[in-house]
Amino acid sequence: MMKPMNYVLGIFCLWLFSLTFAPNAAFAHGEKALEPFIRMRTIQWYDVQWSLDKLNINDELVITGKFHVAEDWPRGVPKPDATYLNVSSPGPVFVRTERYLNGQASVSSAALKLGGDYDFKIVLKARLPGRYHLHPFFNLHDAGAVMGPGHWFEVAGEPAAFANQVKTLDGNVIDMETYGLANGIGWHAFWFVLGTAWLLWWVRRPLFIPRYKMLQSGQGKWLITSLDRKIAMGILFGVPLLVVGASAMTDSEYPNAIPLQAGMDQIEPLPSLVNDGIVKVKVQRTEFRVPARSMTITAQIQNTSDQSISIGEFATANVRFLNPGVSPSHTDDSDTVVAPQGLSLDSTDPIQAGETRTVRITALDALWATQRLDGLIRDADTRMGGLLFLYETNGKRHIASISTAVIPKFD
Amino acid sequence: MTAKALEIPPKPYTGEKARLTRAYDYLILVLALFLFIGAFHLHVALTVGDWDFWTDWKDRQWWPLVTPLMMITFPAAVQAVLWTNFRLPMGATLCISCLLIGTWIARYFAYHLWNYFPINEVLPATMLPSALVLDAILMLTNSLTITSIFGGMAFALLFYPSNWPIFGMFHVPVEYGGAQLTISDLFGFQYIRAGTPEYLRLIERGTLRTYGQYATPLSAFCSGLLCTLMYPLWWYIGKAFATTKFVKAI
Repeated sequence: MMKPMNYVLGIFCLWLFSLTFAPNAAFAHGEKALEPFIRMRTIQWYDVQWSLDKLNINDELVITGKFHVAEDWPRGVPKPDATYLNVSSPGPVFVRTERYLNGQASVSSAALKLGGDYDFKIVLKARLPGRYHLHPFFNLHDAGAVMGPGHWFEVAGEPAAFANQVKTLDGNVIDMETYGLANGIGWHAFWFVLGTAWLLWWVRRPLFIPRYKMLQSGQGKWLITSLDRKIAMGILFGVPLLVVGASAMTDSEYPNAIPLQAGMDQIEPLPSLVNDGIVKVKVQRTEFRVPARSMTITAQIQNTSDQSISIGEFATANVRFLNPGVSPSHTDDSDTVVAPQGLSLDSTDPIQAGETRTVRITALDALWATQRLDGLIRDADTRMGGLLFLYETNGKRHIASISTAVIPKFD
Repeated sequence: MTAKALEIPPKPYTGEKARLTRAYDYLILVLALFLFIGAFHLHVALTVGDWDFWTDWKDRQWWPLVTPLMMITFPAAVQAVLWTNFRLPMGATLCISCLLIGTWIARYFAYHLWNYFPINEVLPATMLPSALVLDAILMLTNSLTITSIFGGMAFALLFYPSNWPIFGMFHVPVEYGGAQLTISDLFGFQYIRAGTPEYLRLIERGTLRTYGQYATPLSAFCSGLLCTLMYPLWWYIGKAFATTKFVKAI
């Protein structure tokens, strides 16, 4: 009869085996990892689009979109003085060939301004075949990665067909996939052969026990021969000579070599797209009903336009709560973080031109839980932020960035 | 007569005794190989890290400062054991060779096959020239003090010129996105690294400024000075751990 300990050991081995030989593919890259207050109140993404979702190797994929840098930036997060617009992907399955912020080419990190509006464009080139989930996202210095919306892409073709050629300022065209590889391997191999020869020079003779005993018995001088000394002298003078000579030759071969570049792009925000001053939103109170997973925002909305407006959408941390009667139809079927019926109002009447009205806006959906945003009430900073989209009858859109303290209700 | 008799070299082991001691040699060497591949590689990955992982981290200031300082550690400790107990002047070369074996395995399997980075973007640096010179100085001088001062200094000073033939060509300028970049910088931009954004790189940042635009010599000498201190520190660490007292306790 097996002992209980053996059962436990057996189950542990099975578990270890299943982990080792039957791993599940990971389909996420930390979209929900950051605390909700950071995802809601730092980079507020919207209008993110992809040029295509089925590609061949070498095809270009263009990701475009906009983002608003929240005015109510969390106190616990360093200001966005060093940020990097990145793409979350499982390694370089695409290469990034171009990137623009507000129409300005940007190849470095960038400083953003609080309350600023930006648009972006990233051009990627398919490098490896497969099915990949990509997000545009921002690396924020000392804060983490704030993800934008994600999308699945399929790349077909042969990896060998990928080409990535670049012209240097010297006028040479190089292949980034192989540039410098043979030279690097050659130098490593050369030094490795020399190092191995030195090791074998010593390893070929009896090593530990005989040498230890000889040393302990005062016969250490026999352990180093005059030939050993000559070889060591050769190393002492030959290796530095070789190193300095090879370095000088490299200098003469690449006379225009420059140090690594590390500038910071300064990108001016666009004229206000969000909080344009035509529609003003002032939040009075926000409650989150935990069991119902429903956020109710009471806000005073002042419409100074000459058209009536209706609230169509509330978006926060890439979750979109849509008012089905107002919001433009949602066509991206693969996007799973949309609540098509998620937004409701206490009054469906449009807010008339010149009218100021207090409105109760309710965003209700299980996405508060599945996207791990309901954890906000356990954060150190229980303020929420997001974008409120309001539409004129002619379809013109106004966007308001709101922020508010959140009061949980546990009933 | 007595003095002359002492000049006769001792006879090498023969027969079963020679076979057994040789078997012991191989046992220790194989164990040491795997130990140093694992332990030294881990040490360098944790301390030098991105500076050694990526070509676009290998700047003129921090890379030649940090790398020798962190890489003289294990060589000093192993030299203390192999030289003082066995008169084997190969501790540094052994450690750096093991490190390079581990590094190349990781770069090929983990970075290239698993994470799809081209190998040329993740070429490791070599410290073998520095290690050979360090071993030679220790053997010729048989002095911890002289090896600390001259060996430590040479270990750091040789680092950048040893690696310039490998990485110099990656510093050729390219016009890209309206800016001047090196090919190394371009690797960082093109080949997507989600977890290592550009701003994390320490590129000539800090108070150790250039001298007439020459950044490397300052860093190399600074590193050399620190290596002269790091070397004896790790020598004594190696010596402290080269003991049988733990085995005796068992």
